[in-house]
Amino acid sequence: MRLALAPRRLRARIVLAFAVGALLVSAVLVTTTFGLARSYLLDQRESAATRQAFTDANVLASRLSTAGSEVGEELDDLVPSGGADVVVRSDGAWYSSRLDVGARDVPGALQELVASGQAGTARVSSPTGPHLVIGIPIAAAGVEFYEVAPLVELQTALRTLAAVLGAGALTATLAGALFGSWASRRVVQPLEQVAGAATRIAGGELDIRLPPTEDPDLLAIVASFNSMVDALASRIERDTRFVGDVSHELRSPLTSLVTSVEVLGARREELSPRGQQALALIQGELGRFRRMLDDLLELARVDGDPVTAVGEPVSLAALVREVLAHRGGPEVLLSADPDEETVVQGDKNRLERAVTNLLDNADRHATGAAAVRVERREGSVVVMVDDAGPGVPLVERERVFERFARGPRAARGSLPGAGLGLAIVEETATGHGGGAWCSESPFGGARFTLSLPGAPR
Amino acid sequence: MGRVSPRLLLVEDDDHIRMPLRWALEDEGYEVAEAASGEDACRQVAIAAPDLMIVDLMLGAMDGYAVIREVRRANDLPIVVVSARADTHDIVAALEAGADDYVTKPFQVKEITARLRALRRRVGASSGGDERPQELVLDGDPAAPLVLRPDRGTVHRGTDQLHLTLTEFRLLCELAASPGRVLSRQALLERVWEHGFFGDERLVDVHVRRLRTKVERDPGAPTLVVTVRGLGYRLDPQ
Repeated sequence: MRLALAPRRLRARIVLAFAVGALLVSAVLVTTTFGLARSYLLDQRESAATRQAFTDANVLASRLSTAGSEVGEELDDLVPSGGADVVVRSDGAWYSSRLDVGARDVPGALQELVASGQAGTARVSSPTGPHLVIGIPIAAAGVEFYEVAPLVELQTALRTLAAVLGAGALTATLAGALFGSWASRRVVQPLEQVAGAATRIAGGELDIRLPPTEDPDLLAIVASFNSMVDALASRIERDTRFVGDVSHELRSPLTSLVTSVEVLGARREELSPRGQQALALIQGELGRFRRMLDDLLELARVDGDPVTAVGEPVSLAALVREVLAHRGGPEVLLSADPDEETVVQGDKNRLERAVTNLLDNADRHATGAAAVRVERREGSVVVMVDDAGPGVPLVERERVFERFARGPRAARGSLPGAGLGLAIVEETATGHGGGAWCSESPFGGARFTLSLPGAPR
Repeated sequence: MGRVSPRLLLVEDDDHIRMPLRWALEDEGYEVAEAASGEDACRQVAIAAPDLMIVDLMLGAMDGYAVIREVRRANDLPIVVVSARADTHDIVAALEAGADDYVTKPFQVKEITARLRALRRRVGASSGGDERPQELVLDGDPAAPLVLRPDRGTVHRGTDQLHLTLTEFRLLCELAASPGRVLSRQALLERVWEHGFFGDERLVDVHVRRLRTKVERDPGAPTLVVTVRGLGYRLDPQ
C-alpha cells in the first residue's frame, strides 16, 4: 500500500513545485513589466499633455494681451487637441470650453498652487474617467489657466496590457505544471521499476534484476538493489541447501537404524516383554522420524525448484483410493466422482504426500478422517477431508498452513508432527496452480480442501 | 525340489548400513556376499556372478554407476540401486547405466525384498513351461530377422544373439504378447516390476530406451517399439 501511494504523492509534490515556481517567476515578471510600462506611458502622456497645455496657455495669454478681448470669447475660439478641455479663472469667475467641465474638475490643492503663481499637475478621477489637470498661472493677464486632459485611452491600453500579461502568467504556470508532471514521471519511473521488481521478487522470482542503466544518478540505486537481491537469493539458496544437506546426512543413520530395528523385530520373540515394548516404541518413533525427514526433504525440494508440476495425468479419485488402501483405512470413507472426471496434471508422488498429510492431520487432531470426498467442480478437482474433531478457529485457518505451525492440541497424547504437513499441502497445491484451505466440516470438525486445476475432459 | 537360496552381492561402503542390511537379507533367506568398494564388487562378480545385486550409488573411488556399467558388460542379473536421493538425475543415470530398479534411503528391508522377489519371480516365469509360443518373429527383415523365443529366453537378430538384461527381455515379452496394442506405462510397471499405483514410470521409459538401442534397426527413429503420446507404448511387428 505504501509503495503504491508514495510515487503518487511524490509526483504531486513535484508538479506543485514546478507550478508554484512558474507562477512566482511570471508574477514577478508581470508586475515589473506592468509597473514600468505604466509609469513610462503615464510620463509620456503627462509630458505631452503638459506641453500642449503650455502651448494653449501661451496662445490664450497672447490673445488676452490684445486690448479689449474677453476671456469667455477667447476661450470659445481655443480648441485644444486630444479631447482636452480648458477651464480658466479670471477675477474670481470661472470659464470653461465646455459646459460639463468646470471648477469642480480642478482640485483645490492645485488651485492654491496656481493661485500662488506656480504651475502644477494633478491626477483626478471623475465619473467620466481619470483625467490629468494641468494648472498654469498667466500672470500678465491675471488669469489661472487649467487644462483637463482625459486619461481614458491610456487606462484602456493599460488594462489590455494587464490582461495580456495576466494571461501570459497563467500560461506560464500551466506550462510549469505540465513540465513538472513530465519531469516527475521521469523521476518516478525508475522508482516504479524498482517497486515492480521488488513485488515480483517477493513473489518468488529471484532471478529478476533491474536492467543496467547509464544514468549516473540511478547507477547507485540499481547497483545496490541488484546486489541486495543477489544477497537475498544466495541466502535463500543457502538455507534451502542447508535443510536439504542436513536431511540427506540424516538418511544414512536413519537407514541403519530402520534396518537394525527390522532385524531386531524379526527376533521379537527372543526379547523379554519389556524389551518388546521398547522395540515397539522405537519402531513407532522411527516411522515418525522418517515421515518428518521426508517432509523436510520435500520442502527443500519445493524451495529449490518452485515451478515444477508439469507432470503427468493423475486421477485424484484413484490416487486417494490408493492412499487410503495403503494406510489400511476403510474405503467406505471415500465418495468420489468417476476416475476419468477427476484427472489433474501433476506429480503423482507429491500429490500422494499432500493427500497423506491431510489424512495424517485428521489422525493427529481428530479421530481420523470422518469422510473423504473427491469431486469435479467446474474447472477444478477438489479433495475434501472432513473430520469430527474440535475444528480450527476462524483466526487460525490461514496460519495452520504456515511452516512449523502446530495446533494447540498437537501435544495431547497423539503423535505431534513437525508442523510441516499442511505447509507441504499448500505448497504442493500452489505448485500445481491450485490452492488449499480450511473450513468447517458437516461433522462439526474441520474440513481441509485441496483444489487443483482439472485436466480438460 | 530343494530350493537353493539366491546368492546376492551387497555393494555398500557404509558398515553401519551394510551389516544390518546383510542380517535382514539373510533373515529373508538370501545368501549374502558383501563388497565395501566398487573395485571389490567387480572382482567378486568376475570370479563368480551372483544371482542378484544391491548397489549403493555413493561409493568410494569407483562409484555405483561405474560398477553397474562394468557388471552389465557380461551379466544380465537383476540390479537394484540404493540411492540417498530421489532426484531425477541420479536415478535416471543409474537406470541408464543398467540398473533394473531402485529404492531410496531410508528404506525398509521389505521394500528391497519386494523388488528383488519381483525381479527373481519373472526369471522363473519366463522359463516356466506355460503355453507361450515357441517363436515370435518381430521383424521379418529377410537379411536379419528379429526373433524372440520366450521359452528359451533369447532374442536373435539374424544369427546373432542379442544381450538383453532380464528386465529388458521381460519388457519385450510383455509388449510382444499383445502386438499392435497400446500398453500404458502403469500397466507395464505392474506387469514387469510389480509396482503399484505410486511406482515410478521413468523405469519404463528408461528401459524402453535401453531396449530400443538393442532391438531397433535405427534406435534414433524407432519403428518396432513406438511411443504413443500420453498413452504408453506399442509394439508393431515389422
